[in-house]
Amino acid sequence: MYIYLPVALTSIKVLLPIGLGLLVGLLSGLFGVGGGFLLTPLLIMFGIPPTVAAATDSNQIVAASTSGTYAHWKLGNVDFKMGLYLLIGGFAGGLMGVQAIKVLRATGNADFVIKMTYVLMLGIVGTYMFIESISSMKGKKSEEAKAGKESKTGNFLKSLPFQTRFEKSGVTHSALLPIIFGGFVGVLAAIMGVGGGFLMVPVMIYILRMPMHVVVGTSLFQILFTCIEVTFLQAYTNHTVDFVLAVLLLAGSTIGAQIGTVFGRKLKGEQLKVFLAVIVIAVTIKMIFDLTLSPSILLSQSGGH
Amino acid sequence: MSTLKIQKLKNKIMEYPGIRFLMFCLVFLDIFLFSEMAFSDLTIKVNHDRIKINFVYHGSSVSVSGVADSGTDLVIKIASPESHQTLRKKGKAAGFLWMNIGELKLEHASNLYFLHSTRKLDDILNSDEMDKFLIGYPSMERHVEITPVDNENDESKWFNEFVKYKESSKLYDISSGKISVTDKDGKQNFYIQVDWPYQAPPGDYLVTVYVVKDKRVIDKAEKNVLAEEVGIVKALSDMANNKGALYGMISVIAALGTGFGVGMIFGKGTGAH
Repeated sequence: MYIYLPVALTSIKVLLPIGLGLLVGLLSGLFGVGGGFLLTPLLIMFGIPPTVAAATDSNQIVAASTSGTYAHWKLGNVDFKMGLYLLIGGFAGGLMGVQAIKVLRATGNADFVIKMTYVLMLGIVGTYMFIESISSMKGKKSEEAKAGKESKTGNFLKSLPFQTRFEKSGVTHSALLPIIFGGFVGVLAAIMGVGGGFLMVPVMIYILRMPMHVVVGTSLFQILFTCIEVTFLQAYTNHTVDFVLAVLLLAGSTIGAQIGTVFGRKLKGEQLKVFLAVIVIAVTIKMIFDLTLSPSILLSQSGGH
Repeated sequence: MSTLKIQKLKNKIMEYPGIRFLMFCLVFLDIFLFSEMAFSDLTIKVNHDRIKINFVYHGSSVSVSGVADSGTDLVIKIASPESHQTLRKKGKAAGFLWMNIGELKLEHASNLYFLHSTRKLDDILNSDEMDKFLIGYPSMERHVEITPVDNENDESKWFNEFVKYKESSKLYDISSGKISVTDKDGKQNFYIQVDWPYQAPPGDYLVTVYVVKDKRVIDKAEKNVLAEEVGIVKALSDMANNKGALYGMISVIAALGTGFGVGMIFGKGTGAH
């Protein structure tokens, strides 16, 4: 059965967006990522105009992350205090990133910078997570060397002002830390046009030292607010949210997020990290292929205004 | 001056209203005094000329039929009004990386262009006539303005890419020999059924049937096809475009509601803690 999408102005098989939603929702519940870095390119591949794909995706993430946050909150896995600080930083960073893109557009280098940022960030994050989680799964061999290094960084972090205790995560940090790193992710997310979950998750694991299960819940909580803002702005200024497509996607993704949360409880933190790393690396490789293989058609639909 | 530049100059001149009126008078005179059009007998009928785009729309079909004089050839053109189009260009950056390298702007290009003829265009029409009635890709290439391009070769390359892109989107199609023709009482009945792609956006489309003899167009007739959104599709599309704030709020609230709803159902189902 086919359905016509009133904003995308195209027709699509009903089961396709439901299936895609289910897949992305599963990742969302498992890893705390919105999945925009996967779903938007897939939607474009199936004939949805790029601007509609990105805007509708954020609408769908609102539903999936609500569903996921709710499930994780019930399990006691959301650090609201940390989420709030990250949000403040992310919001400020997002504003800066949008300005940076405007400057890049004016100089005509926007696309190059966006693509390169994408490949580099995905590549670095994926590879680092993969190596780190594999080596910690094998056994903590370099524990001593690590401990020495950690205490140095730890001392520096402890010397920062505004130290505060994050109960849920069981860590004490300067309030500046989540705000600054939230801001950094916000800048990159705005440049790349994604929610930034796949960047925020490693920041929470490796820099804020939060336990994996709290990371997932907190990341979803944070993504929820970012995507509410993006959905509204896209609908209001660009008229690019396709409600019908969003409903089909979220029918799949909200259920996927619940299944993901249940699965996530059965997997260890390290296993989750390896899975996420593999997915991120796969997307990076796909992007490298797209960049180097000659396309069959040299024109594509414009981004719209 | 190249033919390309002459064509562009023609387009510019045609934009002045006085010139247009003069041209109109000349064409009018031409039709009545010198052409053979008055001797031809052409009637056309377009079946399914109001395409309703509803919730389960997945394209449609349009059939064009009619009666024309025997011994003539026919060209059937279906096109959307000429418009401005912007597309993204892919090219090599830093020598080896394929990415978007800017925009390609086209003026006087139709978004949809179907052309079906009884025989190959080059065998039945001379190029002046094709240019006059915008029949075939070469005429369209001379008519359309593409920017930015370095030279004529570059322009030609991007026009070909444009056609390739449109054909892959099912919006451009040229064929010969698909019109079925049967002779009857010194006249010929013609008929063709065209698949209407769901990729064609709502709007007005013009069907033109040209009667061709001795490499010239001797008669033509036109009919309109309207593709329009109806029901829920129309309501949602109007709201998205005219009431962005409300539409955005409804989208967010629906997503939040569904997320919570599904969360609660699953929460109960698994018994939570």
